[in-house]
Amino acid sequence: MFKEAIGLRSRFDIFSHFERAHARRRRSFHVALKQQSLRYGAALLVAVVCTALAYPFYPQFNVTNIAMLYLMGTVFVALRLGRGPASFLSFVNMLALDYFFIPPLFSLDVENLSYSFTLAVTLVVAFLIGNLVASIQEHRMHAQANEQRANLLYALSRELSGAPDAATMTSIAATHAREIFRSGAAVFLPGDRPVLDSAIAMRVLETGEPYMADDVYVPIGVGNRKHGLLVLYSPPAPLSAVRLQLLEAFAGQLALALERAHASDAVKEAQIAAERASLRNTLLASISHDLRTPLAAIAGAGSLIALSSTALDGDRRVTLGRLIERKAHDMTELVSNILKFSELEHKDDKLETDWHAVGELVEHSLRRNEAALSQQRIDLELPADLPLVLVEATLIVQILNNLLQNAAKYTPPGTRIGIMARVESEQLVITIEDDGPGLPCADTERLFEKFQRGRSEDSIPGAGLGLAICRAAARLHGGEIGACNRPEGGARFEVRLPVPMQMACGMEHARETDGAPA
Amino acid sequence: MTEAMHVILIVEDDEAIQSVLRMLFEGNGFRVVIAATAARGEVAARLHKPDIIVVDLGLPDDDGVTLIARIRAWSPVPLIVLSARVSETQRVAAFDRGADDYVLKPFSAPELLARTRAMLRRHVRGALPMGVLQLGAISIDMSRRVVQTREGREVRLTPIEHRILESLVRHGDRIVTHAALIREVWGPNRDDSRALRVYIGSLRRKLEPDPSRPKHILTELGIGYRLVFPTDREHGHALH
Repeated sequence: MFKEAIGLRSRFDIFSHFERAHARRRRSFHVALKQQSLRYGAALLVAVVCTALAYPFYPQFNVTNIAMLYLMGTVFVALRLGRGPASFLSFVNMLALDYFFIPPLFSLDVENLSYSFTLAVTLVVAFLIGNLVASIQEHRMHAQANEQRANLLYALSRELSGAPDAATMTSIAATHAREIFRSGAAVFLPGDRPVLDSAIAMRVLETGEPYMADDVYVPIGVGNRKHGLLVLYSPPAPLSAVRLQLLEAFAGQLALALERAHASDAVKEAQIAAERASLRNTLLASISHDLRTPLAAIAGAGSLIALSSTALDGDRRVTLGRLIERKAHDMTELVSNILKFSELEHKDDKLETDWHAVGELVEHSLRRNEAALSQQRIDLELPADLPLVLVEATLIVQILNNLLQNAAKYTPPGTRIGIMARVESEQLVITIEDDGPGLPCADTERLFEKFQRGRSEDSIPGAGLGLAICRAAARLHGGEIGACNRPEGGARFEVRLPVPMQMACGMEHARETDGAPA
Repeated sequence: MTEAMHVILIVEDDEAIQSVLRMLFEGNGFRVVIAATAARGEVAARLHKPDIIVVDLGLPDDDGVTLIARIRAWSPVPLIVLSARVSETQRVAAFDRGADDYVLKPFSAPELLARTRAMLRRHVRGALPMGVLQLGAISIDMSRRVVQTREGREVRLTPIEHRILESLVRHGDRIVTHAALIREVWGPNRDDSRALRVYIGSLRRKLEPDPSRPKHILTELGIGYRLVFPTDREHGHALH
């Protein structure tokens, strides 16, 4: 998959790339040579300085002491410039000692055999001490590098462990790499739009070996599973083996983090699936109960009417007929609620909105529920200057329907039901309240959960989906719905919808003359 | 009401609903013809010349909306859609193809009967009212374009409001879709339902006793508006 994402460049490109890489290698060799010659030059300078220092004191100081001075120079060079220059300096020092301080002066000849011995010992001792010091220094630097590496990796892994997803992880890793290697760095995962050399990327992914040229490619992977590539763009100096190791360790950390992210994604998905399954079971249980009860009533009443042996008077037949009608109506509501709910659950953000007058939405809902609300007194408070709102009308009507039906179901006849709408801080606020018995549970938030009913198992039909639908519909509009008991008694539901609004007054003005819209 | 026996054609494939509808209409003085498919429905419509047709949208051989369009192509017979389909677009499609009313399944028998009778009355009487229309306490003289309260106080309507009212009256108490209303009032090149909603609001404030619970200009959400005339005999007929 990744390879396809990278795509293929032409062969020509690949060749030109290898040529470039070769040139780069030659260039870096020159750079290294220059650096080396600088270090040896510096060693030579130390020899000159030692000679200059010792010269005025000769012959008051004897040759052994002067040899000590040279030795000190060697140790200094070993500390600062490393093994090679130190060895080189040992040799140069020996020659300088012989030339300037051992008779015959200004000649490499040696008069006395004991001087030859001094020279030899000086050379060997300088050589040994130089190497010893240099290797101690190397160890120390190595330890320091290791510690630094450990610190960097620790910082990276700590940050990675806090990252919520793969995208954040890759960006963290890239940032760290950029800071530490002081060059452009990027992480490529399958599916990313590639801006890198495809042939090399493929090779690195296939072999699992890093590739170093102008850019450095390191595979991100654990074992055989390759997650992607970590790429450094033109690092300022060629990477040393240690730095490359560090980069690879970086990639390793990222790979582990990515695996963890994938694993946690899988766990999350499994959790969601399990939740869905349990929801489906609850739904089935709830539906089968709530559908079976009215069905039993319908079947019973139907069979009673059909039974010719029982003489039913007109009144009884009417009662049975009404019962069938009512139960069928309950079932219809239930079924449409279930359908609506599953539709809302799977609806994404694409609302089919249009401009609507709030009053018309309320009017429509009231008319739909006229029969259910016939026992209640409806009290409407809709200001004349309510704006037009951009909403999906069926959803808002659904909210109103469910709230009104709830009010009808859960309040005794004669209850006042108030419907109010107003605009408050750029939100449309619709309130539906009653002076009935109020909400039964203290935790009103729970009412809006699926399959939650104020009172469990009672004669009032419903699957506990109504308010969950209201909440889903309100949230699809970016709004919210809440419930509370009124201090003076009864329940109050408030829907807040931060939807686009258009004040009607601008048009109202046009209306007086009918100028603009005509 | 039922001097001559009205013929009603029911195009519906479900047998239970067929028999319920048969009982309902036969019990109320109709002669009932039933067709179970769209094809048979069209044949029956030509054969029996029904006074009114009730069509289910989900038919086994064809879409009910297509049947409506085909019948509408040659006949002005009133068409009532009886369907469980609730999508607004489908309802708008049915109205656009020539349906006159829409009753949702599950229906209540009295409501269906009432709507059928209202439709027949209007159809018999003819569509274009040019006399005086009585909406509650308000009388509207369509030809003179004068709107008055019962006390004789004139209600001033703007030209656009008047055109909207005329358009609603012209369709009797059938639903007028938003698109149709906008087209008839503003012409074909306008597609702004906002202005329409604002004007309907102001019309209601002028004509309805309680504008927030209108009795005459009713909203059919997502579809359009419907003007409802009083039909009880005490008020006399809506149009004189």
